[in-house]
Amino acid sequence: MHEFIVFENVSKRYGNLSALDHVSFNISEGEIFGYIGPNGAGKTTTIKIIVGLIKEFSGKCTIADYSMPDNFINIQRLVGYLPQDVAFQEWRTVDHALKTLGKLSGLKNAELEQRIKAVVNLLELTDVTNKKIQKLSGGMIQKVGLAQALLHKPKLLILDEPLSGLDPTSRYMIKQTLTELSRNGTTIFFSSHILSDVQDIATTIGILNKGRLLKIGNLNELKSEFFTTRELEISLSYLAEGWRNLNALPGVTGVEQTEPDRLIVSIDKNVDMDEISHYIIKQSLELDCRIRSFKPVIPDLDDVYLKYISEDNKS
Amino acid sequence: MSFQILFNDELKGFYKSNVMIILWIGLPVISVLLYLWSPDTSGEMPFSVLFATMMSSLGGSLAAIMITVHLIHERSRHVYELFLVRPVKRKDLLISKFLAVFICVAIACVLSLLLGLIIDYFQRGSIPDEIAKTTFESFCLSLATIASWCAAGVLIGVFAPTVLVGIILIIFVVNNVTSLALLLPIMMKSTYSILYSVILSAILTFIFLTIAMLIFNKKQF
Repeated sequence: MHEFIVFENVSKRYGNLSALDHVSFNISEGEIFGYIGPNGAGKTTTIKIIVGLIKEFSGKCTIADYSMPDNFINIQRLVGYLPQDVAFQEWRTVDHALKTLGKLSGLKNAELEQRIKAVVNLLELTDVTNKKIQKLSGGMIQKVGLAQALLHKPKLLILDEPLSGLDPTSRYMIKQTLTELSRNGTTIFFSSHILSDVQDIATTIGILNKGRLLKIGNLNELKSEFFTTRELEISLSYLAEGWRNLNALPGVTGVEQTEPDRLIVSIDKNVDMDEISHYIIKQSLELDCRIRSFKPVIPDLDDVYLKYISEDNKS
Repeated sequence: MSFQILFNDELKGFYKSNVMIILWIGLPVISVLLYLWSPDTSGEMPFSVLFATMMSSLGGSLAAIMITVHLIHERSRHVYELFLVRPVKRKDLLISKFLAVFICVAIACVLSLLLGLIIDYFQRGSIPDEIAKTTFESFCLSLATIASWCAAGVLIGVFAPTVLVGIILIIFVVNNVTSLALLLPIMMKSTYSILYSVILSAILTFIFLTIAMLIFNKKQF
């Protein structure tokens, strides 16, 4: 697939503070790239370099083969941008803001009207088009922000915290919209602190800490460095006294009671998981435990993120 | 193209936020009230001249404060990010705001002068040539001063960190600089003192706007 964003050894300093330190990544056309990291990690700086708001940096950044910031003018029409804490002039209505920003993106007359109608319908803003933006709730303003980013059908969507402040229904709807756009070839780069949302839609995830990109890959690739599925979780409606005897099973390296009705069993890496599962269930029943559920422990993005960040902070 | 859109937008913004109406009605009313309360009851100073003088000082400082407050407020809320990722020239953002405010205040100035002339006409039965000439000169001076105030407002709005700092700078620095441009040629007692004042104000306007654009172009959002 064609590389749509190429970020190569990009560094950016604010005085003595290193906001980005030799960050490199490539993002292919149609990909959804989730960018995560703690506050102050450099996510917004990365985004502002891509959209051309920060022009002074070292390294190479190209968008659709145009190098930034020299060819900024060529990429402006390709990019739709939703900033963190999007803001509009206070006197504007939703319709007026979309009209002005649409015109500035090069849309004219009938096409502009048609696009405004389409994004307003898509993001369920029909009831508020004539309302002043400052009178809308934070979530609605966020939707208006997304609407202006989608107006000119950009090939690249750059979204800084697009799902913050939204209710669960709106979050679901926007995730669906982004997935659909990606299927139609739009490349999406978004940052978020809501890791479950990143996990839901991102095809590639980048973890940034203190200006350095710690890891990039899909969720399974990120997990593989720290996590192997060598743990089983048993939920019980009755935990028998002798549960510690599970430790004696060959291949079991440890049993821990994490909650009154929950056990985590650690398995030796050389043992077949399916086979040992059979023996653990059998032994549990023989011990008179009553099993409610039995499943391998699968780490989610929260676990992966915390692991990477804590390991990096330690080092 | 982007300039046209932004300029229309700024005018619409002032219209929608009622600033324009307040200026157009408020300033002439304030001028009349001040004239009525003024100790000069001999009638030596025509209404129209007083109105023009009022407009250049009150209207000018109001215009500068309006621009500064708008710019600082919009800058701090990152409003410009949505514009700057589009094919918009940074200087267009500033010039459109400058022109919109200048035009609004200039119209208020014209309305005040017209009101002054009407009052003078009813008071004196006619407008003597001398008053018409003085009024015209005052009008030109007012426009030049308002332009320099507006440009100074843009400059301060571009770099001042907070609204409070911006207003303090306008009151203490801009007030003195623009007054100097207005008064210096008059103090020199030249025949062309009005013309020199207008030229000096125009030069100041150009300098303020150029510096503002240079700073704004360098700014990282």
